[in-house]
Amino acid sequence: MEEVVKMGLEKWVQRQLQADFPNSALEQRLAKYETLRMSNAQIVQTFPKQGQVLKMAIREGLIDKDAVRKDAADKISKQEYQAKLESYMQQKGFKPQRILYQEMVNQKILRATYSENQLQEILTSFWFNHFNVSLTNKNCDLYLTSYERDVIRPNALGKFETLLLATAKSPAMLTYLDNFKSTSSNADLTPAQKQRQERQIQLLERRQEQDNTMQQMQVAEKVRRAKKAQGLNENYAREIMELHTLGVDGGYTQQDVTQAAHIMTGWTINPAIDGYRLDNAPAAINNPKRTEALQKQGFVQEGDFLFAANRHDKGRKEVLGTTFPPQGGYEEGLQLIKLLAHHPSTAKFISTKLATRFVSDTPPRSLIDKMAKTFTEKDGDIREVLMTMVAAPEFWSKEALREKTKSPFELAISSVRSLNAEVHEPRHLATWITKMGEKIYSYQAPTGFPDKGTYWINTGSLLNRMNFGLALASQKIKGISFDLVALNQNREPESAEAALITYSQFLMPERNLEATIKRLTPSLNDPEFGFKVNAAAHKNQAVAQKEPQEQEEQMMLDQPKKRDAEKNTSVANTTFHQKGGNSPMLAQIVGIIIGSPEFQRR
Amino acid sequence: MTTRRGFLKSGALALFAASLGGVPNFLAQATNSRKLMLPYKKNKILVCIFQRGAMDGLMAVTPFTDAHLQLARPSLFMTAAQSSSNPLLDLDGRFGLHPAMKSFEPLFREKRLAIVHGMGSPNPTRSHFDAQDFMETGTPFDKGTASGWLNRAVGLMGHEAATPFQAVSLTSSLPRSFYGDHSAIAISNLQDFGVQMRGNQKAAMAASKNFEDLYDQTSSSLLNKTGKESFEAVKMLSKVGSRNYLPANNAVYPNSPLGNSLKQIAQMIKLDVGLEVAFAESGGWDTHYNQGTANGTFARNVNDLSQSITAFWTDLDAYQDDVNVMTMTEFGRTVHQNGSNGTDHGRGSCMFILGNEVNGGLVHGHVPPLAKENLEDGRDLPVTTDFRSIFSEVAGKHLNIQNEKVLFPNWNGQKIGVIR
Repeated sequence: MEEVVKMGLEKWVQRQLQADFPNSALEQRLAKYETLRMSNAQIVQTFPKQGQVLKMAIREGLIDKDAVRKDAADKISKQEYQAKLESYMQQKGFKPQRILYQEMVNQKILRATYSENQLQEILTSFWFNHFNVSLTNKNCDLYLTSYERDVIRPNALGKFETLLLATAKSPAMLTYLDNFKSTSSNADLTPAQKQRQERQIQLLERRQEQDNTMQQMQVAEKVRRAKKAQGLNENYAREIMELHTLGVDGGYTQQDVTQAAHIMTGWTINPAIDGYRLDNAPAAINNPKRTEALQKQGFVQEGDFLFAANRHDKGRKEVLGTTFPPQGGYEEGLQLIKLLAHHPSTAKFISTKLATRFVSDTPPRSLIDKMAKTFTEKDGDIREVLMTMVAAPEFWSKEALREKTKSPFELAISSVRSLNAEVHEPRHLATWITKMGEKIYSYQAPTGFPDKGTYWINTGSLLNRMNFGLALASQKIKGISFDLVALNQNREPESAEAALITYSQFLMPERNLEATIKRLTPSLNDPEFGFKVNAAAHKNQAVAQKEPQEQEEQMMLDQPKKRDAEKNTSVANTTFHQKGGNSPMLAQIVGIIIGSPEFQRR
Repeated sequence: MTTRRGFLKSGALALFAASLGGVPNFLAQATNSRKLMLPYKKNKILVCIFQRGAMDGLMAVTPFTDAHLQLARPSLFMTAAQSSSNPLLDLDGRFGLHPAMKSFEPLFREKRLAIVHGMGSPNPTRSHFDAQDFMETGTPFDKGTASGWLNRAVGLMGHEAATPFQAVSLTSSLPRSFYGDHSAIAISNLQDFGVQMRGNQKAAMAASKNFEDLYDQTSSSLLNKTGKESFEAVKMLSKVGSRNYLPANNAVYPNSPLGNSLKQIAQMIKLDVGLEVAFAESGGWDTHYNQGTANGTFARNVNDLSQSITAFWTDLDAYQDDVNVMTMTEFGRTVHQNGSNGTDHGRGSCMFILGNEVNGGLVHGHVPPLAKENLEDGRDLPVTTDFRSIFSEVAGKHLNIQNEKVLFPNWNGQKIGVIR
């Protein structure tokens, strides 16, 4: 906020749109997460599925098949075999997939909490959700790190067409919506090619019988899957129109979907990164001579993306009244993406979604029209569309104010940010975010999380929001620490009422909180309130002693000075002098503020 | 039965009225809406259990006279022959129930439990993700369907949700089946349903009062309404006491995730909180390695499944007339066992349907002799009954849902008669 005042609002928005604020504090926090710097190929190699590891370990003779069988009946041998499996993984440099998942979720929380380029992070979340892929899908899960890092974030404030194309070529989207296996029903293999393929399969099978190494297993898997029937998959073609560009009422037909699917045949993953994991992976091109030959046939390889010309439908297509002549190859896919990115329905659909994200669950038509106009005139420039939105009077109108309900993620992040909290170990916060109804990166459907209050707020989730406020404020959420009194320049509030007023302003600056304060004041002044809270605090003290390990963790996190202060505070005097200056009474008040209806609104 | 049910209902209501100084708003609404429905329509409850990972239907309910199966499963095949150490429970001379599911046998004999074999999806995918997605959306060829089939079912019930508990999933996050526009909630534990502070009950009570006041006066109608409902619901659960729950008829639930879920569903049913669709999950069915036979991984799984359901049924007692339990799993497993004494991803599996109106005591569906030429892709039990056939019949008849075109778009509506 201070920053905003110093710079002037317009300039701040401009800078945010450039997303070039230095971010060294954040970078430092992210440095320990190795997976964030890994390529798709490295991730695939490091995080094999557990079943795969077991298979390998058995084949390499490290684990006896019968040992696995015994586990069913007898626990000791199960532990033994788990240990064996773990040491095998270590020896091979494999890691369990949950580490990858956890690092992804952790970095998202850290970025949201500490990034100086907030708008870029918000837009990254927005586009990720718009082009949703999911950790629940075990074909695409390993590619999500790169998807967010290389596909979404760099393009979040750029041209829509660039972003759309980047998602279309990303392994995450290609697998999540099945385009990687979509093949023309009339893919034209020459008889010579077919024969070659047949020979190759035979050769591989023979080798497989002789040799049981991991590499051969991968090959065998490839062979098995190569033999499976192939065909057209319309999934991506449908969603690119319905969800990514035109919108469900955007004026396309089933015929358009099928035709677009034909255009996109052959858009797949470079099998060099992980062909063995996937159904119907094409042959890898890693031999330079072969690469040249394939390029002549129309293959295109760009990083993890491959256009496999031999799977592409070479016929004539027509989508939304535009004709794509035969032999269009890779280029016609690019043309289709351009066509969709610049369609008037897309301008309207994207503008509506952005306005829904930033203004209201039901944004005014006039605002959408303005944004869509900019979208069309400025070549789908997302920055320009956002500038139009911010400049519009509708954005600043009274109706738009506090109209949106915070998502669980926004609630959690806004809480730790306004408490100036230190997030040491973000996964505990993630657990609460899940509890409140938003499992990060795990919305299963391609629609992404619905962006509306009625989705987020129900009896179960609302109670969890209140409980989150109480747990956070009383420092019961592990991995997060803060100092409430420090927040108020080390001045203790004089009374519960003063605390309420002061901390409401910290947590919700620039809001009219009269009603909230008025409503709460009588019950805070009720001697019962203080009595109950303090009584509970004593009890808590007892509980704390029972959990030495947890206490120790906390001690290590606290600064020495604070620890001394704590020692000097008598237990009986539980007003505002407690651990880290955070008394139960103060914590209770802050918890109530965080769980209050006003704080649930944006 | 009806009289007893009516008594129980008013009994619970009276208890509230006395302890709360009035009937909670939403409960009053519930009673009103029920009055409109009564006497011909009563609230029915559908309980769905998703077995994630794909259950081996051929081991759960084995066509034990099939020599092809015996050949295909040298170390996994089980027989009903009494001479064997742990024989299958012979259901009809052709199918045998896994011995670890012995608690199902009486229910089957009483004709309340039906089995459908060869059940599955017309989409041949063998990916867990895709197949679960298709089963939960109810659209086996369209992943883009935003809503889940159970959420659509809630919308087709023909009346508004009278309480927040109309559709409840006993999971930590909302399952795909519940995605959609109609209100549905995920509760992983009923005891967490309330304002809580660990080890700090008094402070929690104080905070709860504060929150209630604040939500009561907020200008946001969504927060206001949901807040009201929440606190009423909390009071309701706490007064009747979700802690120290004592199941009826000495029912013993396994101390497993599924057992605990079903126990809580039974509590909600007995509390009459307006539950109509409940969802629970059971895991560990992906038995690629050492599936086991009479003992082992699979046996433990089916034992947990059947014990949990049987305990639930016993516990329900007088409420049984209103409840239907249906299991489902994304696909079955290969007819042949694999190289590691397990089975791989296949096609058809089987499911269990339990209820007083069920056409029970029968193995429905069609399982051909498992010769290679009869198998799907030469390897799997073919899908002979579309899962939508069962889902739509159970939901249609039990929940009285009329519009099947909305429940299962593009489905031909063919039924096989699992409900009487």
